[in-house]
Amino acid sequence: MLENTFTNPPIPIEQLPTILTLDEQSLSEQYAPLNRFINLGFTLLVCLLGITLYFQPFVNLPKGLLNSLPFFIWAAAILGFLFTWLSYARDLVRSYALRELDLHYTSGLFFRTVVSQPITRIQHIELKRGPIERKVGLATLQVFSAGGEMHTFQIPGLPVDTAQQLRQFILQHKDVIKHG
Amino acid sequence: MDNLPSASATDSRNTQETLQSIDDWQVLSPIAILYFTASVFKHLFGNLIYLIPALAVSYKSVLEHPFIWLPSILVAFALLTLFAFLSFKVYRYRLTEDNIEIRSGIFSKKYLNLPFSRVQNVKIEQPLYYRLTGHACLQLDTAGSAKNEAKLVAIKLAFAQQLKTRIQSQVQNNTIETNQKNTCANGKEQPGQSADSAVTKETLLNTRKLSDLVIHGITSNRIWILLGGLAPFYDNIFDSVGEGLTTLGIDFTELFSLQTHSLLEVGLFALSLTMLVMLVLVSFSVIGAIISFYGYTLSKLDDKYIRRSGLFTKHEVSMGLSRLQMIVQKQDWLDVLLKRINLQFEQNNSFGKNHSLSATSSKIIVPSIKPHECQALIDDAYPQNALNALVSSNGFEPISKRFILRNIVFVLMPGWLIITSSTMMHGKLTISALVSMLFIGLCGFVVLRWKRWGVARDENFVYLRKGLIGVDYYCFPTYKLQQTQFKQNLLMKKRQLATVKFVLASGSLTVPMITEKLAYELIDQGLYKVESCQKSWM
Repeated sequence: MLENTFTNPPIPIEQLPTILTLDEQSLSEQYAPLNRFINLGFTLLVCLLGITLYFQPFVNLPKGLLNSLPFFIWAAAILGFLFTWLSYARDLVRSYALRELDLHYTSGLFFRTVVSQPITRIQHIELKRGPIERKVGLATLQVFSAGGEMHTFQIPGLPVDTAQQLRQFILQHKDVIKHG
Repeated sequence: MDNLPSASATDSRNTQETLQSIDDWQVLSPIAILYFTASVFKHLFGNLIYLIPALAVSYKSVLEHPFIWLPSILVAFALLTLFAFLSFKVYRYRLTEDNIEIRSGIFSKKYLNLPFSRVQNVKIEQPLYYRLTGHACLQLDTAGSAKNEAKLVAIKLAFAQQLKTRIQSQVQNNTIETNQKNTCANGKEQPGQSADSAVTKETLLNTRKLSDLVIHGITSNRIWILLGGLAPFYDNIFDSVGEGLTTLGIDFTELFSLQTHSLLEVGLFALSLTMLVMLVLVSFSVIGAIISFYGYTLSKLDDKYIRRSGLFTKHEVSMGLSRLQMIVQKQDWLDVLLKRINLQFEQNNSFGKNHSLSATSSKIIVPSIKPHECQALIDDAYPQNALNALVSSNGFEPISKRFILRNIVFVLMPGWLIITSSTMMHGKLTISALVSMLFIGLCGFVVLRWKRWGVARDENFVYLRKGLIGVDYYCFPTYKLQQTQFKQNLLMKKRQLATVKFVLASGSLTVPMITEKLAYELIDQGLYKVESCQKSWM
C-alpha cells in the first residue's frame, strides 16, 4: 500500500533548504527597550544603595571601606551602563525564524549563534511569563528536546499572541502528534 | 532462609503461574531490609565525605571522649536499622497487565505508576548479599528524570527475568507498531520482527577475560579520581609514612639529602619511590576494573544488547538497538600503545546522570577490546557505517589551521607573556624559563589536538574524530539529532569559518573551526535527514 505513494528522489546538497537564508522575524519591539529599562534601573539601584551607605549617619563604617566606596560606586555605574548598552545592542539583533518543519533562533553580537530545533524532536513546550513580562504582554517560549536541559531552545521577548500561536502551531504539528 | 513468610511464597507462585496480573498489593521479601540498610549506608557515606576534613582535624579530641562517641554511634546505628526496617514495612508494589505501581517512603510518601510501554531500560542488579537467597533488584528507567525511576527492591531472580522479558516484549510491540507506520527512506533497523521473535536465542557477542580487565585497569585513568579524593590527607599520610619509616630506621631527609648522597643516588631513590607508588595505584585501578567488569558478557537478543558484569554486585543492563544514540570508540595513549579500544554504546542519558560509575551507568561499555572485535561490534550495531574505512583511509576532513593560532595567541600567549614578564622583572630567570618550556609544551599539545580533530559524513552517519595523544571516534546516525547549533564570531566570519554543535539525546558534540560551507552543509543535511525521515530517535 505504501509503495504506491512512496517516492524518494535524490536531492543534491545545494538544493536542500539552508539555514543561511532564513526568513528572520524580529522579537517584540518592546523587548529591547524593556530590558534596557530593567538593566538601567538595576544599575541605578546599586549606585543609590552605595550612595546612601556613604552618606548615612547611623553606622560608622570602617575607614578603608568608606574611602574606597566612591570608587566602587563609579565602577558599578560605568560597568552597569556599559553592560546595559551592550545588552541593548545584543537584544536588537536577536531574531527567530519558523519554517514548516523547524524553529530557529539567531542571537549574538560578536559571537553569532543559530540554534535550529526540528519540530519532530520536541518533547514539550513551556510559555514562561515573569511579573514584568505579564505587565507588558510579553512571553518567553521554551522548547524542550531530549538533548537535555542544557540545550533548551528558547525565544524570549515574544508578544503573547505570537507566542501562543507558535505554541499552537507546534502542538498541532503533524510530527509532534505522531511522535509526542 | 527457610522461614521466609508469605511474600517469597507469592513470588515463587508467580514464577510458576506465568505472570498473572496481581491485583492486591505485594510485600517484599524481608531480605530487602538488608538492601535498605545498605542503601542508607551508601547514602550516608556519600555525604560523609564532606565531613571527613572536619573529623580529620578534630579526631584526637573526639577519641578522648569515648563516652560520647560510642553511644552516639550506637544510637545512629539503631536509628539506621529502624529506618531500613520501616522502609521495608511501607514498601508495596502491584503488577497489573501492563503497568507497575509502587508505594514507598516513610515521611514523604511516594506513589509511582509506570506503564510498561514507557519503560526505556530494564536493569537487573544482584548485590552480593542477595545471591544466597537468589533475589535481585529490578530497575526500570523511564525517559523522564532520574528521580522517577522504579525499582523493585527484592524479588526472586527468575521472577525478575520473566518480568523483564514481558516488559521488553511490550515495549517492542509498541516500537513495531510505530515503525510500521513509518515511511522512512533508510530502513536500517528492520521492523520485521514477528510475534515469535521472543523465542529467539540469545547470542553471545563478547566476553572479557581477566587479563583484559587487568589491561583495562592499567590503561583507564580511574586512579586519578582516587588521588583527588585523597588530596585532603596528603599531609597526614606523608607525615605518618615518614614517621613509620623513621622508626624502621629509614630517614627521608637523610636519604634525599644531596650532602650525603650523589645526585644519581637521590634520583634513583626518587624514581624507585614513584615507581612503588605508581604500582600501588595501578593495582588499585586494576582491582576496581575487576570489581566492576568481572565475568563480563555482552550478548544480543533480537535487537537488544545485554551486558552482564560485576564481581560483588552483578549488574545486567539491556538496551534496545533503537535506543542507541551514538557509538564512541575511545583510545587513551596507553591504549594506543597496547592496541586496545574502549567501546561505548551511548543512549539517552537523562536517567544516567547520577551514575557516573561505569558499572552502574546505563550506557554499555565494552572495556579494552581488540580492534577487530571492536569493528565487528560496530558493524553489528550499524551495518552501513563506514567508520573503519574512514579510519584506515584517513577520510576525515581536518579543521582549520587557525585553530592552532587561536588557541596559542588568544588563550596561551597572554598568560605566558604576563608570567614571564613579571618574573623577568623580578629577576627570577629559572621560573620564567620553566614557564616558557611549559608554554612550548602546551603549544605542542595544541598542534596535536588540531591534528586529531576531524569530521566526516556519509548518507546516514556523521563521524567525528578527536583526542590529544589518544584518539576517540564518535559515530552517530544523522537522524538521531535533537538540535543543531551554528556558531561564528566576527573573526571566524572574516575567514569563513564556523563551529558546529550537534545535540543528541546522549550529549552534545562540538566541531570547532570548520569551513563555513561545510558547517552549513552539515546542519542543513542533518535537519533534512531528521525531518524527512520520520523515524523516532528512541
